[in-house]
Amino acid sequence: MKRAEGVLEFTDRLQVAAAPAAAVERELHLLIFALGPEPYAVPVAMVREVVRVADITRVPDAPLHIRGVMNLRGRVLPVVELRTRLGLEAAALTPASRVVVAEVRGRIVGYLVDRVVQITRLGEGSVLDAPEEVRTGSADAITAVARRGDQLLRLLALERVLTAGD
Amino acid sequence: MTAPDHPFAALLADYVAECLPLAEDVLERSLALERAWAGGEEAADLYGPLQGLLHTIKGNSAMMGLRPAQELAHALEDLAESLATGPARRRDGVEVLVRGTGLLADLVRSAAIGDSPDSAHYLEELRRFLDQTVDLPAEPARVERRGGDRREDADRMVTTVRVESHRLDALLEALGETMIAQAGLRDAVKRVTRGRRGTPEESGLDQAVLALGRTLQQLEQDLMETRLLPIATVFGRFTRLVRDLARGEGKEVRLEAAGGDTRLDKTVIDRMGEPLVHLVTNAIIHGIEPPEQRVELGKPAEAVITLRAAQRGDRVVLTVSDDGRGLDPAKLLHKARALGHAPASGTPALEEIYGFAFLPGLSTAERVSSLSGRGVGLDVVGLSIRSLGGQVSVTSEPGRGTTFTLRLPLTVAVLRSLLVEVDKERYAVPLADIAETLRMGPDVLRQAITQGTLIWRDQVIPVIDASHVLGLEVPWGVPACPEAPTKGRRYCVVLKAATHHRGLLVDSLLGHQEVVVKALDPTLGRPETIAATTILGDGRVACILDAAGIADGAIEARGCG
Amino acid sequence: MSATYLVVDDSRLHHQMYDLIFSRPALAGSRVLHAYDGRDGYAQFAAHPDLAMVFLDLNMPVMTGLEFLDLRRRDARHLHIPVVLVTTESSADDESRGMAAGAWAYLRKPFHPAQLESLAARASQASEPVRTA
Repeated sequence: MKRAEGVLEFTDRLQVAAAPAAAVERELHLLIFALGPEPYAVPVAMVREVVRVADITRVPDAPLHIRGVMNLRGRVLPVVELRTRLGLEAAALTPASRVVVAEVRGRIVGYLVDRVVQITRLGEGSVLDAPEEVRTGSADAITAVARRGDQLLRLLALERVLTAGD
Repeated sequence: MTAPDHPFAALLADYVAECLPLAEDVLERSLALERAWAGGEEAADLYGPLQGLLHTIKGNSAMMGLRPAQELAHALEDLAESLATGPARRRDGVEVLVRGTGLLADLVRSAAIGDSPDSAHYLEELRRFLDQTVDLPAEPARVERRGGDRREDADRMVTTVRVESHRLDALLEALGETMIAQAGLRDAVKRVTRGRRGTPEESGLDQAVLALGRTLQQLEQDLMETRLLPIATVFGRFTRLVRDLARGEGKEVRLEAAGGDTRLDKTVIDRMGEPLVHLVTNAIIHGIEPPEQRVELGKPAEAVITLRAAQRGDRVVLTVSDDGRGLDPAKLLHKARALGHAPASGTPALEEIYGFAFLPGLSTAERVSSLSGRGVGLDVVGLSIRSLGGQVSVTSEPGRGTTFTLRLPLTVAVLRSLLVEVDKERYAVPLADIAETLRMGPDVLRQAITQGTLIWRDQVIPVIDASHVLGLEVPWGVPACPEAPTKGRRYCVVLKAATHHRGLLVDSLLGHQEVVVKALDPTLGRPETIAATTILGDGRVACILDAAGIADGAIEARGCG
Repeated sequence: MSATYLVVDDSRLHHQMYDLIFSRPALAGSRVLHAYDGRDGYAQFAAHPDLAMVFLDLNMPVMTGLEFLDLRRRDARHLHIPVVLVTTESSADDESRGMAAGAWAYLRKPFHPAQLESLAARASQASEPVRTA
């Protein structure tokens, strides 16, 4: 099965499980969250924390898909509207909405999600290429998916979410 | 470590006893030189004893068969001499010197124990530094190598502690959060004591909270002062830049600097280097004529660029002047009209014309220079300065020269501001950029909307609705084209830039507030209207407006669609 | 033979080194006078016409080695006493000036005790300046 390029980025950030024997499949340690009905996942290693959504202040002229900023213990945290970035329509906040705070390319950024599901470990072998429409719909932010039971998790490459100009 | 059969091996302890205080004195003097040179002082009197001390340590180490210490002391003598006679290299070199003198002290200290630190690595680095060609003319004064009385200055020296600046930043950040917490406490106390106004409990609580606030402000001021550095640390970079750039452009330019000991917060200094470099680069590339042309015009072939700094109240005023060709107002106006920044008819005031120089697309020369591309647009300079809470303006005498004036706040952390509300969002407007606030009666408001102007203090000033200039979208994700949202705009904040005023229509004024400035996260890019952010007492983030930018018209109203 | 030597140097460590050297067998029995600056050195020099040799450092407070030599020449004082200028490898200028000012020899640091011993041995026989590496 051909490996998608996105997989390599993930496996670079693996938390490798202790391997007593030689040929053990490497594991992906993932945080699963949902946007609408679809499940997505990011490497746990990039996630600093998950917080409730505090008041988000709009910033005029901020780059596209930055919903605004919020106060994270005294830090002014930019918050990315993942829904619109991934081609969905914006939606109202609910009590289940959360901000996933991640460190991407040395910067700390928050990503707004509809709800956080759980953390899981999956073997590398569960990773497949993402379907074409998922890849293009996300402007290449999703190039791989992982099978978990009967679910297909969309593996999100956070470093591709914000464009290089940011 | 001296070999055990060395004739003087028995004197190792005496060597350490004699040379360690000398080495520590050398280190202290290097630190003092670092400070003096950073402040633009020559400090020749510090230098002589330093040489003598290093010489003695070298001689003693040589006699004891301690080669590493001997070589290091010798190399440091060379370095100190190189820096004393070559001021251009001091900024980088003094850091190397301080490290080396510290290493020397360690070498001496460990001589008797035999567990010496390695100096080969440092010596290599030092030799590489010394080998770099220095082509600036050496200072004429030849420093005498005399022993002198090494102890005479001991009493006058100030004790210093070296602190990495990121620790100071962390302290300030923590203090900032404490101040936010205090503001929150103040709000909470107000709410809790609502029913008990005038009671002793209420006033006791109130006093305590106010006292806490005052203490924090004093603490902040004291902490901020630890971060104040002389501007000379920035000026020092320019000599070489000017020389290299002028040479590349085929021009002759001399740099003069004054007021280098004026002190600014480290963050401001770190960030103003770039705009200053752009201004100096622009002066050399566009402003200054080639030597032959200057001579024809009756000017000296060598042009002069002057950097000057002075403190005015809570601001520092910096000027970058050149005696070049100056700005041509006619050309500026012509270009501004061509780009649509100025109306086709009528002649704006001269100051306003000069203000056009800071609009995008207005650099007046098209040449590409080999060293720096086109030269950076002045609009970028303006933005950098404004993001520091400062202002920049320019005046010129065509044919005689140009002067840029930068006004920067002394410290960047706390801003006295006016909080305003626009469409349920709060914004902070720096008080320094506000000329006046006005309550708008319905008639005045109507006129302001339809004509876009207001009569204020016998002037006609342009007026703009805050939401127009901020380009806010109403519900998230839905672009809005507000037609007449102005019925709620009851106040006008008259903003001022160096030469302009502009009225900003807002819904309400929420009062004065000292806000802790948080620089814009790079992820937010470069919003046109926002200079920075802050966290208000209730924990919510508010944007700090680039009031000066809005005032001088650099930021226009957004159309719809 | 009991000779008296004068050491003029502002470094105490150097004085200890000289003491060590003069306590070695070759120069055993010698008496050593100590001065820690040029002026005090000159005073002791003036007061002891019987000195076998003077070891004079260059860089000292109050009066330097070169100033000491100039003063001796102006005063025409004890011109028979050989004065050895103690120098470093970077002070070639001072060495020539010192010789011109009347130094009998120069001794470069770092020096081995044996070099000093051989200078001291030649003192009584010398009639012209001797250069020592």
